[in-house]
Amino acid sequence: MLEIKPIFNALLRSKVGAVLLLIQIAITTAIVSNAAFIIKDRLDYLNQPTGYEEENIFKFNVMTFGTDVDLIQQVDLDEQMLRAMPGVVDAVQISAVPLSGGGSSTGFRLKPVPEKSKSVNASYFETDEHGLNTLGVNLIAGRNFTEDEVVLNRDYSKFPKVALATKALMDELYPGEDGLGKVIYMGDQPLTIVGIIGMMKGPWLKLENRKDKSVLLPTVSPGKLHQFLVRTEPERRAEVMKQIESAMHSNYAKRVIQDLTGLDVKKADYVAEDRLMMRMLVILISVLVLVTALGIFGLTLFNINKRTKQIGTRRALGARKSAIISYFVVENSLICIAGLVLGVCGAVLLGQQLMAHYSVPALSNWYVAITAVAVFVMSLLAVIGPARRAANIDPSIATRTI
Amino acid sequence: MLKMNNISKMYQTEMVQTHALRDFNLNVEEGEFIAVTGPSGSGKTTFLNIAGMLEPFTGGEYLLDGIDVGKLNDNQRADLRNQKIGFIFQGFNLIPDLNLYENVEVPLRYRGIKAAERKRRIEQCLEQVGLASRAKHLPQQLSGGQQQRVAIARALAGEPRFLLADEPTGNLDSLMARQVMELLEQINRDGATIIMVTHDAELARRAPRNIQVVDGQLADFTLYQGNPNMAVGA
Repeated sequence: MLEIKPIFNALLRSKVGAVLLLIQIAITTAIVSNAAFIIKDRLDYLNQPTGYEEENIFKFNVMTFGTDVDLIQQVDLDEQMLRAMPGVVDAVQISAVPLSGGGSSTGFRLKPVPEKSKSVNASYFETDEHGLNTLGVNLIAGRNFTEDEVVLNRDYSKFPKVALATKALMDELYPGEDGLGKVIYMGDQPLTIVGIIGMMKGPWLKLENRKDKSVLLPTVSPGKLHQFLVRTEPERRAEVMKQIESAMHSNYAKRVIQDLTGLDVKKADYVAEDRLMMRMLVILISVLVLVTALGIFGLTLFNINKRTKQIGTRRALGARKSAIISYFVVENSLICIAGLVLGVCGAVLLGQQLMAHYSVPALSNWYVAITAVAVFVMSLLAVIGPARRAANIDPSIATRTI
Repeated sequence: MLKMNNISKMYQTEMVQTHALRDFNLNVEEGEFIAVTGPSGSGKTTFLNIAGMLEPFTGGEYLLDGIDVGKLNDNQRADLRNQKIGFIFQGFNLIPDLNLYENVEVPLRYRGIKAAERKRRIEQCLEQVGLASRAKHLPQQLSGGQQQRVAIARALAGEPRFLLADEPTGNLDSLMARQVMELLEQINRDGATIIMVTHDAELARRAPRNIQVVDGQLADFTLYQGNPNMAVGA
């Protein structure tokens, strides 16, 4: 038997504790639903497919201080040496490292500068014909560029004629059309797209409009500081990485090898802030839920201690133990439902504010609904123990003077 | 109607065993008004608790309306209490957050009586104790005597066979005590069986039948038939 009306009336008559709990439940619901949504958003962000075998790829920088060397020639020698190392699938000198947070980008256009034209911002990587294989990304149409198409530059005086581009970039430049074979312009330089790459994230995962748009340019123009990317066979990366410094020095000694790092580690460094924020939010949610559960637990225990005689009297008047449990469960549910109604409104408002002021996507109603259900279940779990304790109060307490 | 045969109640702690009731025999007939007296700690309240099924007994047999109480489980005892027994407590035991109407309603809700029938009974009982006009008041807005009258209305609302009163006037001044006693006498004349535990010898003498509990046993038994003013002290 549910005594909703008298419990509701009784709550209205002594409401301080109930109102405090209600506010706590509302705040918990509002914050937890938004935080859970942000966590899910961050998790999606952190776990998004990148197109790379991150755990099999590593990069390193070469800082050359020797002046008695032709850098283009040396890069070629280094690449041959690296590709010949046991366990290496492919290696290449490249102008930027994906997922690292550092690289180059520019506007790619349908018409050359200075003509007015649609322009789409995309990252670009300068590399040779081994770039595609070293990155390990998937070519979904066309072909890789050939060794002959790679432009060797000492001063950027020559420009490549062909390029590979991601599908995301070509779809935006040529919506509804096949991008293969189309010409795009980098400044006033035309590039014929000979191959389309499927999934390939650029250097900046955070930049929603740019992360999937990249171009591979067949050009090699190493400076004193240049970097290599190496892909190894599975499980052999560490073994190869250990040999890099000595191998490179044996090829040419007047240089320093720096930042020898796995691609997964590079990505982890780049997303460290997001990971930290996510962990903080998980802690925040846990603490909030725990505090609310303790609040419900504590308030119910307090109410039971305050109402020991009343509970004994109810038992004396014919209440079964189940009626006492249901009394506290109903009382808590009424407070909780009121708190949840307030909390759901708060969650939506908070979501709108977060979206307006920070780069947070619109809060999904599912998160609010699931959080509300979870908070309700948590409140039931928190109240059931004290309620059972109340039900075990001896009815003879009613005749005792306490 | 209420029959106790060799009822015993023993409290046991690690160090001591205390016999609250021993070989307690009592037979109560329908319509009786019994005053239970005895010194403090003699077992009066234990007797009342066992009679009202508020606590179990350790030995003997207790039949209430022919039902063997010792064989009932907790839910059955709660239901039987609700149907057959009305309690009146020394401290009134009204629920402070409920108004008078809702307080009287409590046992009726536990019995699952429909709202319209509850309303009829509550209004009738509050009328009977002279507090119908104050149904929406909270207990703390009433005097002690008025609160005890509400408790009596609550006990009567379930139309119980028994009224068990534990020092019903213990917290009241003499004028209010007399009013409450007159109300109980009226209820008894209307047909209810009343067992009243009291310290007050004068009040006890007003009951047609007195029993005395000493050291957990029915030590003395004095039956006053007819006019209570003819009663002779035990």
